[in-house]
Amino acid sequence: MIIPIQLVMNFTAMIPFALTWYVGMTNWIPQLTPFFWEAEFVGLANFLKIPGDDLFIGSIARTLLIVGLCVPIEFLLGFSQAYVLSGDFRGRQFIRVIAIVPMMMVPIVTGYVFYLMFIPAGPLSSIINFFTGGTQPIQFLADPNLALMAIMLADIWQWTPFMFLIFISSILALPQDPINASYVLGASRGYTFRRVMLPMLRTPIMIALILRTIECFKIFDVPYIMTQGGPGYSTFTIQMHLYESGFKYLQYGYTNAQSLLIFITMIIVGWYASKPLRAP
Amino acid sequence: MKKISIDKVLSNTTRTLVVIGTILFALFPIYWALTMSFKPADEWAPSTVHWWPWSPTINNYLPLFFSRETLIDWGTIIGWQMAFPETAVKAITNSLVLGIGGTTLAMFIGTTAAYAMSRYRAGGNVMPYMFLTFRMLPPIAIMIPVVVWFSTLRFMDTHHGMMLLYGLFPVPFVIWLMKSFFDEIPKEIDEAALIDGCSPASTFVKVVLPLVRAGLAVTALFIFIINWSELMVALTLTSRNAVTIPVQIGLYSTDAGFLYGVMAALGMIAIIPTLVFGLAIQRYLVRGFTFGAVKG
Repeated sequence: MIIPIQLVMNFTAMIPFALTWYVGMTNWIPQLTPFFWEAEFVGLANFLKIPGDDLFIGSIARTLLIVGLCVPIEFLLGFSQAYVLSGDFRGRQFIRVIAIVPMMMVPIVTGYVFYLMFIPAGPLSSIINFFTGGTQPIQFLADPNLALMAIMLADIWQWTPFMFLIFISSILALPQDPINASYVLGASRGYTFRRVMLPMLRTPIMIALILRTIECFKIFDVPYIMTQGGPGYSTFTIQMHLYESGFKYLQYGYTNAQSLLIFITMIIVGWYASKPLRAP
Repeated sequence: MKKISIDKVLSNTTRTLVVIGTILFALFPIYWALTMSFKPADEWAPSTVHWWPWSPTINNYLPLFFSRETLIDWGTIIGWQMAFPETAVKAITNSLVLGIGGTTLAMFIGTTAAYAMSRYRAGGNVMPYMFLTFRMLPPIAIMIPVVVWFSTLRFMDTHHGMMLLYGLFPVPFVIWLMKSFFDEIPKEIDEAALIDGCSPASTFVKVVLPLVRAGLAVTALFIFIINWSELMVALTLTSRNAVTIPVQIGLYSTDAGFLYGVMAALGMIAIIPTLVFGLAIQRYLVRGFTFGAVKG
């Protein structure tokens, strides 16, 4: 049963991956040399250039901040939603679909809709002014911190349902015997949750966190549409940096070197982060 | 008895609050997109906030389904619609074909692999992680070689080329999600089936798969959404023939301005298939379906 995936993976992933390494060690710029094998081979020079690249370091740090704030918030929101909504009550099917609707919106549309919600004449500015009594429209996307917050809010809105869906399907799939036994033996709700349910949910929680962290690190569409990285570089993420250096400035060689550095770092970090999952 | 009723009131209140919070949080941007799709051009980004369309119109939806010629024939065409000779029907069909095809392929490859990894420990501890690392590579880094490789094979802007990628890129997701669902099924069930004379393959298809149908449904929904809304691959590899909905939405940000209403309209159309899918899998989300499968 492992054969189909072996074939497809080797064909579609390994060949491009080998190419990525080779190109990362050349100074290929397609306007100068149309074919990559004509480009000059520069060895590790591209990799040595990276530590001195302020734009690279800055956008990495910013992306780590976004990931570090968004993923835990999405986890807490999604998990508590799933825990509460997993009960039996009228309209549960309806509300569970409502909860996953944000994920169904095409991210590019999310970007534009959130942009329109955060413009000074948009609804959010009015709502906040209504509660604080302010009269000036709020310039969310012109303020570096508020713009970053707007980006993160869009990401949280769109991807909390991912956590929710994984957790609600896992919670509902839990065997009921141990939970009922715990109640019968007189354990409180909180105790049963901590000592019986949480240990059984360890794997889905780890998987959801790991997958979401990897995906959140690739945040691109929404900030690209909402702020184009601005104001200044305050919402410039690492994927936007790679996109610009690759497809705007066409430095294919250097872009590949940067991507590979990120890739290797993530593999090493991820290897240790996923250790509990690999234990038999 | 009294303690239980207080508990119940508390949990009902919490639930009501969470339900209201969920509805407000999840639906407000959807509401904004929906009203946006019925607003005429001067209400897209007005100087004061318009909570609902003041003069609702279906003009945003018309160019999605009717070509410029049809609209001219009807005599209803308005300024900006002149810029779009073609409809979005092709993009919608392409997205459906690629979404369904890619999802099926990814589910087939990924589920078989996940089962092998969960039950036979195929690839040991390293292989599941190795597949996950494919998602860690920045998409741009994989796209450059894919462009080179696709132009060599003449796969650019074709349905089969796109479907291959859409069947491949989400596979790590399928493997990891499905593996966690397979791991939850007790091994005793497989063993019982094998002892009763089932072949390994029919154990998988007839015994184990029905037990993880909730997991299958949820994973398939994820993969469908990932493929459905994928932008960078489609933007890089398609130009005319195999454009998808996200690429088509990008076309409505023209040099003359952003047609927010049309984007919102297509976005609303694009929600429909995933919403139908989401409603369809609801009946698999039921409590404790392995109940009583293993004794003791």
